[in-house]
Amino acid sequence: MRNGRDPIWRFLLPSCVFVLLFSLYPIVESFRLSFYRLILTLPWLGQRFVGWENYRDLATDPVALNSFVTSLVFVAVTTPAEVLLGLGMALVLNESFRGRGWLRAAVLVPWAIPTVVASQMWRFIFNDRYGLFNFVLFGDATERYWAPLAEPGLALVAIMIADIWKTTSFAALIILAGLQGIPAQLYEAASIDGATAWQKFRHITLPLVKPALLLALLFRTIDALKVFDLVFVMTQGGPADTTNVLQFYGYKKIFAEGMVGYGSAIAVVVFLLSLILSLIYIRLLGARLLAKERSL
Amino acid sequence: MKALLTAFFVCLIASSAAGQTQLRFVTWKPETTAVWEQLIADFERRHPGVKVIREVGPNSSTEFHDLVTQKLRNQDAEMDVFFMDVIWPSEFAAAGWALPLDRFFPVAQQKEFFAAPIAANRYRGHIYGVPLFVDAGVLYFRKDLLAKYRLAPPRTWPELVEQARLILARERDPYLTGYSAQFKQYEGLVCNMMEFIMSNGATLWDEENLKSTLDSAGAKQAVRFVRDQIIRTISHRGVLAYQEPESLALFTQGKAIFHRNWPYAWEVANDPKRSKITGQVGMEPLPAFPGQKSVAALGGWQLGISRFSRKAQLAWEFVEHMTGREAQKRIALATGRGPARLALYHDGELLAKEPHFRELYETFTLAAPRPITPVYLPLSNIMQRYFSSAVAIADSDIDQLAHLAARDMDRVLSLLQGGRLP
Repeated sequence: MRNGRDPIWRFLLPSCVFVLLFSLYPIVESFRLSFYRLILTLPWLGQRFVGWENYRDLATDPVALNSFVTSLVFVAVTTPAEVLLGLGMALVLNESFRGRGWLRAAVLVPWAIPTVVASQMWRFIFNDRYGLFNFVLFGDATERYWAPLAEPGLALVAIMIADIWKTTSFAALIILAGLQGIPAQLYEAASIDGATAWQKFRHITLPLVKPALLLALLFRTIDALKVFDLVFVMTQGGPADTTNVLQFYGYKKIFAEGMVGYGSAIAVVVFLLSLILSLIYIRLLGARLLAKERSL
Repeated sequence: MKALLTAFFVCLIASSAAGQTQLRFVTWKPETTAVWEQLIADFERRHPGVKVIREVGPNSSTEFHDLVTQKLRNQDAEMDVFFMDVIWPSEFAAAGWALPLDRFFPVAQQKEFFAAPIAANRYRGHIYGVPLFVDAGVLYFRKDLLAKYRLAPPRTWPELVEQARLILARERDPYLTGYSAQFKQYEGLVCNMMEFIMSNGATLWDEENLKSTLDSAGAKQAVRFVRDQIIRTISHRGVLAYQEPESLALFTQGKAIFHRNWPYAWEVANDPKRSKITGQVGMEPLPAFPGQKSVAALGGWQLGISRFSRKAQLAWEFVEHMTGREAQKRIALATGRGPARLALYHDGELLAKEPHFRELYETFTLAAPRPITPVYLPLSNIMQRYFSSAVAIADSDIDQLAHLAARDMDRVLSLLQGGRLP
């Protein structure tokens, strides 16, 4: 029955169409629009090609620069925190003990809750009058209550905490999958050679779980760079613009202000940033991994 | 592919609507649902075969705007009638999203409404929305607390601060706050701050020359007052994260002396099911700075019709029904929101139940609109950023921030001037 490569293409076609339609097309369209001045509320200005003007404006826009820094700080804090905590959780969940099944399911709960719901929940937790956060810290001493979402210095930290709570279990899940792929014989052999628990972790677990760590880092970095819903629900970018991450700023430009060209330029920058960071990860960690494999 | 998808969805819609005409009304969740359901049921009774589908969007004006404009951008023919905040009609008109209603809603009929919301619904000589109710910022206060210390309602902002400090010092209640209002970085912040600025004789912009006036001495002085005298003195820090519901909850729990909100708060604060301070609530026009006039920000909601609706005539009949005298009266009776129709302020039955409408009439007549321009949203985002930075940070450099905000506003406004040239 098989003649040539035709059948394979036929099977691949639906997913190719899907990717082209829903991934490639929007990306290409964002690139294209970012070179135009298109303001929906001023249709008489038309859709004028302006070359790099949007990008030049972006480079000198103090709000955009501030958003850029905010996004980077957010990524730099949440991603390592999530992967490290996730690693810890995965190591615990990988041990066998009573109630492990329950614990594994419980750990996934934050990840399973829709982000919008989780954001709303954290908004309540951080409320300055009835929030659980204040009650735990100060009990009845209401005069000492904080308003984390109202403090320019704390609002971003509050959002980071919510993000770490929400997505650490996702990192843990990926890392756990990596841990389960490590053959038990390696640990047995190491025990016979008299290796300590730390040595086993350092020389067996860590190198072999690295691909999973890389994957977790990669996913979390891209996701953290695109954080939107937490900001949307918890602070709307405030107070004093301290939580106005790049993705939220771009959203505001396109969806609230109708500045499609400028907003698309922001979207493209976010896209390129995730792309560059992903490539760096794959290069750095991936290369080292490959080198190790070759030397084995 | 696109044609196929369209065909699929058309089939889907057609099959669900078999034998019945659907009219989709995009609304936010009202505080009192019963009256809306009754009004819609009345409309359906008068139009057999018509089913009004209510699509409920978010309560926050900003988020509701994003929902409605997304449908309009996508030229969604499904949405027929939608709510518009008073700041949107010129944007929707300029973008070609709202249907001009001149043939349905002639000037003679427009005269039956407050002038300010009608002006906000007009753009380049056409009308794009029918006002349903008007809003204006008012000051609520605890009558019992003021009486206890023999104080009259404050006429000026410094007086309000002084009274709040006195009461706070004597009451010694750590839960009590002096002034509860909306200082989160969102649209409500612009309303609150513009009331301070304009009641100091300053303005947000120069409408003639399309220039921002945020860096005028009077405007900066008002902003500085809020930062130094309100936020850091008589309010607790939490107000910087408050929208209407949180600030009102504080007041109805009896934990705020003064509260700034829209007229709907009167109904809530006097409802024993939702408030601990019924009967102790006073309402007055907002204070002004000494020697200046009180200014309330104009708010309110209108009904508009989508240009992409295929049922304009039916949609209009629905709008006419919902904004008619009878409907506005019932909404006012049930929700305490101020009707947009002037005649209702002489309606004996309504005034008997809601006597405070008599005082609100003048506030509504004098209420000041936010800048009426298709680029209001970009302007508002610049102002929100500026006001939040100025009042949330104790040692903010207001001169510098105001200068930058005014410059950014001027840049956005220059788009309008550029647009006029061929």
